[in-house]
Amino acid sequence: MNVYVAGADIGSTTAKVVILDGEGKIAATSLGPTGASIVEAAQRRFKEAIEAAKIDEHEVEFVVGTGYGRFKIPFGHTQITEISCHAKGAHYLFPGTRTIVDIGGQDTKAIGADERGEVTDFCMNDKCAAGTGRFLDNAALAVGLSIDEIGPISLKAAKPLRITNVCTVFVESEIMSHMARGEKIEDVLRGVHNAIAIRSIALMRRVGITPEVTFTGGVSRNVGMVQALEGQLGTKVNVSPLSQYVGAIGAALYALERARGAPPTELVAEASG
Amino acid sequence: MTDGDAGKDLQRRLLSEYYGSLSDEGRNGRKVAYMFVPGNVVELTRCFDMLPVYPEINALQCGIKKMAGDLILRAENLGYSSDVCGYVKNDIGLMLSDRKSPFGVLPKPDLLVCNYSGCNTFVKWFEALAHFYDAELFVLDIPYLREREAAKEDVDYIVAQLEELATVCARISGVPFDRGRLRRTLELSMEAERLWVEALKTAQSHPSPYDAYFEAVFYMAPLNILRGTEGCVEYYRLLLEELRARQKERRGPVPEEKFRVVFEGPPPWPHFRSFWELFKRWGVCGVASTYSKVGGLFDQGILHDPAQPLESIARYAMNCYTNWNLGLRLDLLRRYVKEYEADAVVIHSTKSCRSFSVGQADFREVLVKNDGIPTLMVESDLADPRYYSEAQLKNRIDAFFESLSHRRLLGG
Repeated sequence: MNVYVAGADIGSTTAKVVILDGEGKIAATSLGPTGASIVEAAQRRFKEAIEAAKIDEHEVEFVVGTGYGRFKIPFGHTQITEISCHAKGAHYLFPGTRTIVDIGGQDTKAIGADERGEVTDFCMNDKCAAGTGRFLDNAALAVGLSIDEIGPISLKAAKPLRITNVCTVFVESEIMSHMARGEKIEDVLRGVHNAIAIRSIALMRRVGITPEVTFTGGVSRNVGMVQALEGQLGTKVNVSPLSQYVGAIGAALYALERARGAPPTELVAEASG
Repeated sequence: MTDGDAGKDLQRRLLSEYYGSLSDEGRNGRKVAYMFVPGNVVELTRCFDMLPVYPEINALQCGIKKMAGDLILRAENLGYSSDVCGYVKNDIGLMLSDRKSPFGVLPKPDLLVCNYSGCNTFVKWFEALAHFYDAELFVLDIPYLREREAAKEDVDYIVAQLEELATVCARISGVPFDRGRLRRTLELSMEAERLWVEALKTAQSHPSPYDAYFEAVFYMAPLNILRGTEGCVEYYRLLLEELRARQKERRGPVPEEKFRVVFEGPPPWPHFRSFWELFKRWGVCGVASTYSKVGGLFDQGILHDPAQPLESIARYAMNCYTNWNLGLRLDLLRRYVKEYEADAVVIHSTKSCRSFSVGQADFREVLVKNDGIPTLMVESDLADPRYYSEAQLKNRIDAFFESLSHRRLLGG
């Protein structure tokens, strides 16, 4: 019988499940909105991934949960924070990774990792969603576009504007005042992307920016954000088509270690509930 | 504390006597001097039979007793901004609630002694109280500590102010200044301080017999409130005995001591228990902390001295932790890590206290990058319950100890 393991990353916005085979190869992935019920979202994604991998649930030997919803995953054997999982997952996709910047729905994290993908240091945004995915959502809303449209449009900017407001709520009125003055939408949007890049880089500096830099999380799918980050950093950043799954991949890699008999390093006592 | 709980019982009795002495009947005509904890001059005011009231301690007690949230809102309704220190707003809220504290009604001040001017908020806080209570305010100007040793001219400068303060106290209380009484009071302070230093050092053993952050902040209470009294000395004698007994039995605050941590910054009083719990789960034991030294850096050789009465008070006032320059503070953290064989440093940064928070991000950076000491920085507040986000704190604390566990497992 083949051995499979799974990682489930239940974030504030999306739920992701990755199944790995015994060799550590990705057998299946599944992604969807988290919605109001973490339990249902996790179950739905897990079921979908199992079907895609064409395996039976019993073949999945170990499941690690991560993300804000990790303690509510009914089929998880244990929970590991997304900080550890992102470092592990980024190292899996890009083994040269030493710095990870993860921009998610309401969190931005900068993580330093060693050559084994172990966390050496990390910093996160506190008390404020400025510089996170939510900032982009609000900017898109303000200009009446979808979140998928704003990145590509921002690439057309000829003279990017400076967005000075760091508040996710107040940035809307700053955008509106630029628009009312007749500024081009692409210049405004490029300014929004640059503002987030600058904030993320400030966070990264706190752990040290050592190449290679890998960009993960939902916001890394936004081409405008990738370019803004590279432009502000002055270096290329790794982005994988699987970037949204990095946390789930890391969780699945921890699951594989455990299935192979590694002792737990997380809090086992709380591994249910 | 321990099974015997003799220290705890004594502390409870002493504090209840102290709060009793503040009541209308208990005061028995004695005058009241409000003052701050760091670097205060209680030995001097005691010579004039003045009763000390510590608004910071009242604020933290209101935090623990879950009263702070309402009191802070009262002050905000009066016009205090959300950016003003939570301790200040708690105290203003108490004043607006007829000074009804968890320990009875507090007396109004006859004198406000602002003993630490390094925190600008302290000066403004007592200026406000002087206005509201129509009480006399005496601000001691305490020079910042630029070198490890206080300069002689700085000490002389403070001594001259203390002489002036003594005249004010004599006028207000009607009690003449008795220098012999000051020496006897300082003798008692010094004795309690020596015992406390010995107690602090027991945390060097493995396991530590007590948590030098979460428990030490209660053990330090008698020194912060009752310094210069017989009861205070007796408490530290008992505490030392109890800690040594626990040390002998290898008993500590967590079932298995897995991580030895040096803590920097004040705790979130309104969420004290749940914050502690986030660390206990990981087998974390605080082995040294800077906050337990806000009442004095006695373990750094700063003791009151009856042989140099006013000079030692001046040195004590200058050597309050937040009056140390950032280089000295950083060195202290490093020394604690080494002397107490700690695995990591945890910084709890509070929005209210700028005296504490300034430089903490730099401490983190230097400790991690230059010294290779794993350091976690988390943020909330010491008084305002609204700034405590348990999910965020838990995530950071878990990630930190998870990565330490993992690195330990992989050996390096």
